Amino acid sequence: MFQSLRRVSGRLVFVLPIALGGGLTAPVFAGQGAEDESRFLSRIRRLTVEGRRAGEGYFSPDGKEMVFQSEREPGNPFFQIYLLSMETGDVRRVSPGQGKTTCAFISAKNGDILFASTHLDPRSLELQREEIEFRESGQERRYEWDYDSHMDVFVERRSDGELVRLTDARGYDAEGSWSPDGEWIVFTSMRGMFEGELSERETRLAEIDPSYFGEIWTMRADGSEQRRLTHVPGYDGGPFYFPDGSRIIWRRFSEDGLVADVWSMNPDGSDQRPLTDFGAMSWAPYVHPSLEYVLFASNKLGFSNFEVYLVDVAGEKEPVRITTTDGFDGLPVPTPDGTGLAWTSTRHGGEGGQIYLADWDHEAALAALRSAPSRNEPTETPQ
Amino acid sequence: MNRRRQTLIGVSLVLAPFLTLPAAGQTPEELRDDVLALTGPGTEGRAVGTPGAAAARRYLVSELEAAGARPLPGQDGLGIPFRFISGVEDRGSSLRAGGHKRFGSDQVRAFAFSETGEVRGELYFVGYGIRVPENAGVSYDSYAGHEVRDKVVVVLRHFPDGVEDETRSVLNRHADFRSKASAARDQGAAGMVMVTGPGSEGAGELAPDGFDISAPGSQGILAVSIDGAAGDRLFAGTGVSLAEVQRSLDAGEVDAGSFPLPGFATLAVDLERTPASGANVVGILPAADGSLDPPYVAVGAHYDHLGMGGGGSLNPHGPPAVHPGADDNASGTAAVLALARTVADSPLARPVLVGFWSGEESGLLGSRAFIRNDIRPDQLAAYINLDMVGRLEENRLTVQAMGSSSVWPGIVERANVPGGFDLALSDDPYLPTDSSAFNSESVPTLNLFTGTHTDYHRPSDTADKLNYEGLARIARFTGLVARRVAESDPVPEFVQVERAPETATSRVSLRAYTGTIPEYATEIEGLLLGGVMAGGPAETAGLRKGDVIVEFAGTPVLNIYDYMNALEAARIGEPLTVVFLRDGERHEVTLVPTARP
Repeated sequence: MFQSLRRVSGRLVFVLPIALGGGLTAPVFAGQGAEDESRFLSRIRRLTVEGRRAGEGYFSPDGKEMVFQSEREPGNPFFQIYLLSMETGDVRRVSPGQGKTTCAFISAKNGDILFASTHLDPRSLELQREEIEFRESGQERRYEWDYDSHMDVFVERRSDGELVRLTDARGYDAEGSWSPDGEWIVFTSMRGMFEGELSERETRLAEIDPSYFGEIWTMRADGSEQRRLTHVPGYDGGPFYFPDGSRIIWRRFSEDGLVADVWSMNPDGSDQRPLTDFGAMSWAPYVHPSLEYVLFASNKLGFSNFEVYLVDVAGEKEPVRITTTDGFDGLPVPTPDGTGLAWTSTRHGGEGGQIYLADWDHEAALAALRSAPSRNEPTETPQ
Repeated sequence: MNRRRQTLIGVSLVLAPFLTLPAAGQTPEELRDDVLALTGPGTEGRAVGTPGAAAARRYLVSELEAAGARPLPGQDGLGIPFRFISGVEDRGSSLRAGGHKRFGSDQVRAFAFSETGEVRGELYFVGYGIRVPENAGVSYDSYAGHEVRDKVVVVLRHFPDGVEDETRSVLNRHADFRSKASAARDQGAAGMVMVTGPGSEGAGELAPDGFDISAPGSQGILAVSIDGAAGDRLFAGTGVSLAEVQRSLDAGEVDAGSFPLPGFATLAVDLERTPASGANVVGILPAADGSLDPPYVAVGAHYDHLGMGGGGSLNPHGPPAVHPGADDNASGTAAVLALARTVADSPLARPVLVGFWSGEESGLLGSRAFIRNDIRPDQLAAYINLDMVGRLEENRLTVQAMGSSSVWPGIVERANVPGGFDLALSDDPYLPTDSSAFNSESVPTLNLFTGTHTDYHRPSDTADKLNYEGLARIARFTGLVARRVAESDPVPEFVQVERAPETATSRVSLRAYTGTIPEYATEIEGLLLGGVMAGGPAETAGLRKGDVIVEFAGTPVLNIYDYMNALEAARIGEPLTVVFLRDGERHEVTLVPTARP
């Protein structure tokens, strides 16, 4: 059970099926003394409705568009990428419609939309059919991301609508995002499991848990200069540049995959340091435009009870809990002007997460950080 | 690349993107003005068929006309009247038993569902007069072993006291006035006389007449209640008193209480059903190209409320008082009016039908009459209903009936990006509001609702308690939904949602499934099918929408009440016979109930 739960892809929508059963889905609020989320969030509204689940919503720099992934394409049970106009509500599909996709992001330089996709896999249609048949059989399985080795990073060029392939390495390349100037892309690659000699242990891991090989990479906007930044055993993923481009934030799993924490580093991979040490699964970090704090998701309160937290950008204070509603709350993304927060939630009680948006009280967040107790000095670790 | 472009075109056919948003719409102040007009002096709670409702209607007609709305083709004006039965009058019912036992209207009250006429027959007491169908889990039959054909049965009101809880709930379901009348009718009795026993609550009192405005038809038998004194007299000469018999019955001895009573009875009922009329307000706003041709995008709200109180009031014991119904449903009416004005200024791709219904509080009288008599369902692309939308709290808007078309999730999502509500969504289209009338006729529906509150159906549902800013936003959101519907080509497809079993019949429904969709509140004798579930036993048996079931598993069916009772006899996998009328001809099919899918 835990083995599959920890398969949280970098920024992927992580959905806790209702069918989990037992007491696992029950939120563990008792004794946490959590204040109500209305302290930070107001005018909560639901952004996505259509399809089984949606998530990973990221804004264009002017806030007028949001790109997201959703399982809503007729005949395709997997995520496809969609672009939503925040002004009119119009939605269009960006990705090819075939295969699996994930993790889109809009360039501040020219609006180009990057995402990862398996549509070039000759088996992609067959895999769609298999998944549809599986679901129609009425069986349930826990939501699980499979780190498809055919996943590569693509960009839809806004100037001419062409789809450009940026990575072609064997192995999962995904979870990409642009640098603020649109010149660089930071992403996750598991290509290591197909390169060089694997030890006996690594060979076994490659079969049961490819995410073990996840490392953070950067490349230029045209796909050139691909470079590996992390070298620590265990899954590194879900990277984003800081809003000023000064650093990169991501989350790092322990080698055994049982614990994840939020880390930051310089864009060249130096000065890697953790911001959290809950001993829980803390992931999906995103830096607020003020550069004052990082929003992330954690199951600190219980095995399957994910909530949104924030922590100061230096990781000097204890994190502050944001969401307090039953169900999954994660993948927080502030609006570019810092006055709103989008995130993925199952608070509506549905089987899959959907994207929500709320007004965000930045001053309340700063005040909460100021009154948060100090945390032990972050420890530096070798790269 | 090509594939992607092709599919994008495919998407745009379904939901054409629009680049311009409708005008901002009405201001909160304008919505308040409309609510104040609808709840103000002279409207008196807007009860169907009253001068108060007529005053509200005149306001709506003049406002809609000012916005440029046209009458529905074939109608003279925006007001469209409909007829209903507003009540029954007992013009003098009587019971005679032998020469010296004569009871007049002071001791005899006809049930509203009684036949009118006179019958004669021997008197026969049958205890509580309850027959529980065989496999309902409880065995109870007041008629077992007794022949009552052509006799006038005397029954006790209520059901035996002192039985176990589980038995109690089953008996309770078969102890209502209509069920007892049906049981007597099915046993061949000529009439039913009910008395409230000395051991029951309200001992000796006449029973209320049981009038149901949404199902005012006859139960097919003469049926009256009599007072306790008359009841006692009927037992004179039997050697036992009614009180003693009731005690035995309450102790669980079913057989203790069925025996002939002395005397030959003449039961006479003279009942008059009071015809009444109400009126809907319906206007058409032309499309952007000036077209007035269907299909229309329909948007509506009921404008009636409870008047001075009465049966629907949750303040029934208070003195009569104006129930202003500001939230229920001046709010929805004002929002639809606002939408109509906005659409008049910036028309949509299809004409918009605006409907204000009356008689909703009495059982969807106006909307049912409209969809049956005044329009063809296929002339409506979809129907969006607003009922109680004036109390937006914490930004939470409930949108119901999402399951009635596959287009709704996409349309509601797109409308809510500018709309900005924290949506609570539900698929169920079987709602206690006008949208149900349209769903019954296979029109995709949506219902908007901001939640119930402590002022619901009370004189305190006043205009000062509404959230007008929220109401204006809801009107605008409705406009965005309507716009998307107008741009849907082809029109939204209708999806038949399976009706969740109702509480009263859930035990039964969970056992055996027939896949019939009963039509409620019709004047037709029998059970009119509003539809059948695709692939369900009824469809397999050959039944279809429009058929009228008159007999089910050997039990005559005169109305929905009979049908619900008859359903209890259905068992999974056991074939039963359904007799029905189609185009006036009698047919018979075999239906095999299945387990609920």
